[in-house]
Amino acid sequence: MAHDTEFHVHHDSPEAVGRRERLGVRLLIVADGSFLFAMIFSWFYLRNLNVNQAWLPKGVHTFSTASGWVAAIGLIVAALAHRIGERNRAARNLTAIVVLVALLIGGYYQWHQMAHMPFIAHDDAGRPFYNGAYASNWVLVAGANMFHYLIGSFVALGLLLRARRVKIDPTLEEWRQRTAGSWFTWIAISGILCAIATSFQ
Amino acid sequence: MTTLSHAPTGARPVPNPQKSLITKLNMGTGMVLGIIFCWGTYYAMKAGRDMTDTHNVNKVLLMSMFAWSVGFLIGIGALIGPFRWLIGKDLTDEEQLYLAGDGQGIKRYFKYCTDHKVVGIQYLVGVMALLGVGGTMAMMIRTNLATPGSHFVTPNVYNSLVGLHGITMIIALIIVATGPFGNYIMPIMIGAADMAFPRLNALSWWVLFTAIPVLCSAWFLGGIPTGWTAYAPLSDQAGPGMNAFLATIIIFAVSTAVAGMNVTTTVIAMRAKGMKWNRVPIFVIGATISVALAIPAFPTFMVAMIQTAMDRTIATGFFDANVGGSGWLYANLFWIMGHPEVYVILIPGVAALMEIAPVFVRKPLFSYNAAIAGFAGIAGLSILVWAHHMYMSGWMPSLNGPFMITTEFISIPTGLLFLVLIGTLWRGKPWMKLPMLSVYAFIWDFLIGGITGIYLSDVPADNYLHGSMYVTAHFHYTLMGAALTGAIGGLAYWFPKMTGRMLNERGGYVAFWFIQIGFNVLFLGMFIAGAEGQPRRVADYAHLFAHANLISTIGAYSVGIGMLTLLWAIVHSWRSGKIAPMNPWGAKTLEWTVPYPVPLVNFETPPIVTSDPYGYGRSAK
Amino acid sequence: MADLDHEELTPTPGARVGKFINRGDVRQTMLLGLLFTIVFVVLGRWVYPHWMPTVLTKQMQANEDIMIWFTVISAPIAGVVLAIAMQSFLHMHRGDTPPEEGIAIRTNTPVVIIWSAASVVFTIVAIVWGLVALNTDSIAAATDAPKSLIVDVTGSQWAWSFYYPAQNIHTHELNIPVNQPVTFNVISADVNHSFWPVQLGVKVDANRLVTTVVHADPSATGPIDVKCAELCGLYHAYMETSGAVQTPADFTNWVSSIQATGGVQQ
Repeated sequence: MAHDTEFHVHHDSPEAVGRRERLGVRLLIVADGSFLFAMIFSWFYLRNLNVNQAWLPKGVHTFSTASGWVAAIGLIVAALAHRIGERNRAARNLTAIVVLVALLIGGYYQWHQMAHMPFIAHDDAGRPFYNGAYASNWVLVAGANMFHYLIGSFVALGLLLRARRVKIDPTLEEWRQRTAGSWFTWIAISGILCAIATSFQ
Repeated sequence: MTTLSHAPTGARPVPNPQKSLITKLNMGTGMVLGIIFCWGTYYAMKAGRDMTDTHNVNKVLLMSMFAWSVGFLIGIGALIGPFRWLIGKDLTDEEQLYLAGDGQGIKRYFKYCTDHKVVGIQYLVGVMALLGVGGTMAMMIRTNLATPGSHFVTPNVYNSLVGLHGITMIIALIIVATGPFGNYIMPIMIGAADMAFPRLNALSWWVLFTAIPVLCSAWFLGGIPTGWTAYAPLSDQAGPGMNAFLATIIIFAVSTAVAGMNVTTTVIAMRAKGMKWNRVPIFVIGATISVALAIPAFPTFMVAMIQTAMDRTIATGFFDANVGGSGWLYANLFWIMGHPEVYVILIPGVAALMEIAPVFVRKPLFSYNAAIAGFAGIAGLSILVWAHHMYMSGWMPSLNGPFMITTEFISIPTGLLFLVLIGTLWRGKPWMKLPMLSVYAFIWDFLIGGITGIYLSDVPADNYLHGSMYVTAHFHYTLMGAALTGAIGGLAYWFPKMTGRMLNERGGYVAFWFIQIGFNVLFLGMFIAGAEGQPRRVADYAHLFAHANLISTIGAYSVGIGMLTLLWAIVHSWRSGKIAPMNPWGAKTLEWTVPYPVPLVNFETPPIVTSDPYGYGRSAK
Repeated sequence: MADLDHEELTPTPGARVGKFINRGDVRQTMLLGLLFTIVFVVLGRWVYPHWMPTVLTKQMQANEDIMIWFTVISAPIAGVVLAIAMQSFLHMHRGDTPPEEGIAIRTNTPVVIIWSAASVVFTIVAIVWGLVALNTDSIAAATDAPKSLIVDVTGSQWAWSFYYPAQNIHTHELNIPVNQPVTFNVISADVNHSFWPVQLGVKVDANRLVTTVVHADPSATGPIDVKCAELCGLYHAYMETSGAVQTPADFTNWVSSIQATGGVQQ
C-alpha cells in the first residue's frame, strides 16, 4: 500500500474500486428513485384532487394506456440482455450490441412519442398549451424516460467500445459490468413504474 | 478493505500529460466556453421566436443558463474523464496525478482539481462568498425594516431581497460544514487517501460554482417575488428573474446528489484499517447522515422546480388550477425536501461541536451511542414531518394531528443531542478557546430555537404563529444560531489544519461576541414582532411593531460588524497568522497526525486505528 | 471496621444520592437550574400575554395558553441544560496550554434513560395538549355550524373582500357579532394568500378554485386587523384591512347601513 499510494489513491485493488463504484451508483439510484417517487406522487395527487374537473378535461385526446408500456420496452429488453451478458461471457459481444440497439430504438420511440403528443391544445392567440393535469404529468414522465434512455445509451456505448480495448483491467471491468447492470435494471424498473402510473388515466 | 495489488505496470505506454488536453484547461477556459455557450444559445433560440410571449422568454433564458453551466464544465475539462471512459482510453496514472494538482501551487485552485483538500478550500471560499452576499442582503432587509414606511427600497426590490437572501443562505448553509470540512478534513479523519470519487468531488464543486452566477443573474432579470420557498402559482406568474432561481436549484440539486453520494461512499468504503463503526469520529457520522439524508431529499425539490419550469416554458399546468393543477402539489414536494433539508443543515454543525467539546474539556464524548441515536432519530423522523409547514394551507386538516405527533417526537432525539453536549461539559474545566465558545453559544441558541419549535409544531398555536415573524426568528435560531455557529466553531478548530496558521484570537473573540450578542438582540426582537402579529416577508409594517423592528435592526448591524471582523481575522490569519503546530489542541483524531501542508495522499503509511478518538481523561476515583 | 469498609465500597443508593447532592458543583448547578427555571417561568407568564394582541376568541385564548404553559413546562428542562452549561463555563480554563485531563465518563446509563424518559413525557404532554385543543376546536366547529355566521372571504392581489350570504352584503371590512360562531369560506382569485384576522387567532390559506374553511368563536368585542400571511407578490405587505368584533346591535346597524346602499360597502 505504501508503495502504491505514492502514485495515487486509485491503486486500491480493483475489487475495492469496483465495490466502491457499485455503491456510488446505487446511491445515485436512490436519488433517482426519489425523483421517480415525486413524479408518481404528482400523477396520483393531481388525479385524485381533480381540481376544476380538469385532470382530463372534456374533449382532450389521451394516449392509449399501452403507450407507457411501449416506451418501456427498450429499457426492459436492454436490462434483460445485459443480465444475460453478465451471466454468460461468451454471449457478451452480442448482448452488448443488443443492449445498445434496444436503448437507441427505445429512445427514438420515446422522442417520437414526445413530439407527437395528442393532447396539446391551443389558446385564443394560437399558443400551444398542455390541457389538463394528465397531459402535464405525461410530458414529465416521458421526459424522465428519455433521460434514462440517454444515460443508458451512453453507458451501453461505453461498455461496447471498451470491450474492444485490451489495456483495461479485466477484474475491474467485470465489476463495471455489474455496476452498469444495477443501473440498467433500475431504469427498466423505473420505466415499468412509469408505465403503471400512466395506465391510470 | 483489501490493500495492495494492481501496481501500475511499467510497460504500459503513457502519454506525457504535459501534452494532454487536461493541462490546458482551467477556470478561464471554462468561463470563456460557458459564456460562448450561453450567448450562442441565447441568440440561436431568440431568432425566429416571438419574444413578447413570456413562455418563449422563459424558454430562452432557462436554456441559456443551462448552456452556461454545461459550457463551463466542458471548458474546465469536467467531461474529459467520462469521454475517455466512453472510448476506452482511461486516464493514465500521470494524468490522474496531474488532475490531483500535484506541485501546481496556487494554480490548482482554479482548475478541475481532484485533490479533496483543494476542493475543501474551494468550498470554504465559496461558502464565505455566499455568506457575504446573503449577509449583505440581510443588512439591506433590516435597514428597510428599521422604521415603518419602507423608505430604503421598493416593494419589488424588497421581495427579491427576501427571496434571494433566503436561497443564498440556504445553499451556503447546506454546504457550510460538509463542503469545507467534509471535503478537507473528513477523508483525513477516517484515514483515507482521498475521496472515493475524486473527479466527482471536483465536479460537485464546479457544478455548484456554475450555479452562483446564475443565481446572481436573478437581480438583472427583475428579481424574484416569491421568497425562497418559490410557492406556486406565484412562481408561475413571476417575471424572468424566476428562471434564474429555477436553474440554480436544478444545478444545485445535481451538485448535492453527486457530493452526497461521494461522501457517503467514502465513509462506508474507505475508512482506515481498524476504524470500526464505533470508532468513527462523531463529525464523520453526523456529516454522513446529513449528506445521506440529502440524497433522497433533494430530487423532490428538483422535480418541483422542473414542473415550475415546464409551467413557465411549455405551458403545462402542474400548478395552474384552471387546468387541473394545484399549489398544494408544489407545497408537498417542496416540504418533502424542505424539512429534511433543515436537518441536512443542522446535523453537521452539531456534529462539529460534538467533535470539539471533548478536546477542550479533556473528557470523552458523553454517550457516543446517544449522539448517533440522536442524529439517526432526527434524520429518520425528518422525512415524516413535512406537512407541519402546511397546517394552515387547508391541504388536509385531518392530517394535522398525525403530523403534529411526528413533529413533536423530534424533540426526543433532539434532546439527546443536548444530553451529549452537557454530559461532556459536566464536571469539566473547559479550555475557553474560540471553538469551545461556539459550543456554549450553540447550547443557548439551539435551546431557544428548539423550544420555540415546540410551540410552532402545535397546531392550535400555529394558528396564530404561522407565517409570522415568530417563525422567521425560530428558524434563524436553528439555522444560524445552531448550524452556522457550529460551522464557525469548526472553522476556528480546523483552521490550523486547513491553512497551517492559527486563527487570530483577539479578532475571533471580538467577532464572536458581536455576532452572538447581536444575533440574540436581532431575533429576540423578531420574536416580539411575531408575537405581536407581524407577518413575515413584509416590506412595511404598522407602527405597533416599530420598537421590535428597531431592536432587530440594531442587532443585525452588530452581527454585520461581527461578521466583518471575522472575515478580517480569517484573511489576516491566513496570510500572516501565527504558524500552527501539528496538533495545537492536543486532539486525538487522525487529521492532527498529519503535517501541514498535508501530503497528496495524506498519510505516508496508512494508519491503523485501534480505539475511538475520545480517550481523554483520568478514571474517576 | 469491616462493616465500614463494606459500606464504603458499595454504598446504598440513598447514601450515594445524598453524597451526590452534597457535592459543591452539584449544589452550584442546582442553584443555577432553579434560577434559570424561575426566570423562564416568570418570562413565560408575563411576556406572552404582554406581547400578544387582545384575546377576542376562544381560539386566541387557546393559543395564548399554549404559549404560556409550554414555556412553563419547558422551563425546568431549559434550566437543567443552561445550569450545567453555565456551571462549567464558570470553571473555565484559560491560557495557551490544554487544561488537566477531566474525568473519563464515557456514559451513564441511568442518566441517559432518565433523560430520554423525561423528554418522552414532555413530548407526550405537548402532543396530548395539542390534540385536545385541536379536538375541542373541531367539535366546536361541527356543533356550532348551524348557528354560525357565514362569511365568504376572497383574497386577490392585493386586497381582501368579504361577502355575507345571509345578509347579502359585499364589504371590504370584516365586522362580526360577539358570541356568535363564525365560519369563513376562503378562496383566492389568483395566487395563494393566507387569511389572517390577527386578533381572532385563526388562519387559513386562500387557494385558487378550492375553498378552505376556518372557524372562530368570538368571545369579546374589539378591533380586528386582517392581514395576509402568505407572500403573494408585489404589495403583499399592504394586503390588509380592518374590522371589529361588535355587539350584536352594532353589527345589525352596520349590516343595515350597507344594505341601504345597495348591499355593497362604499
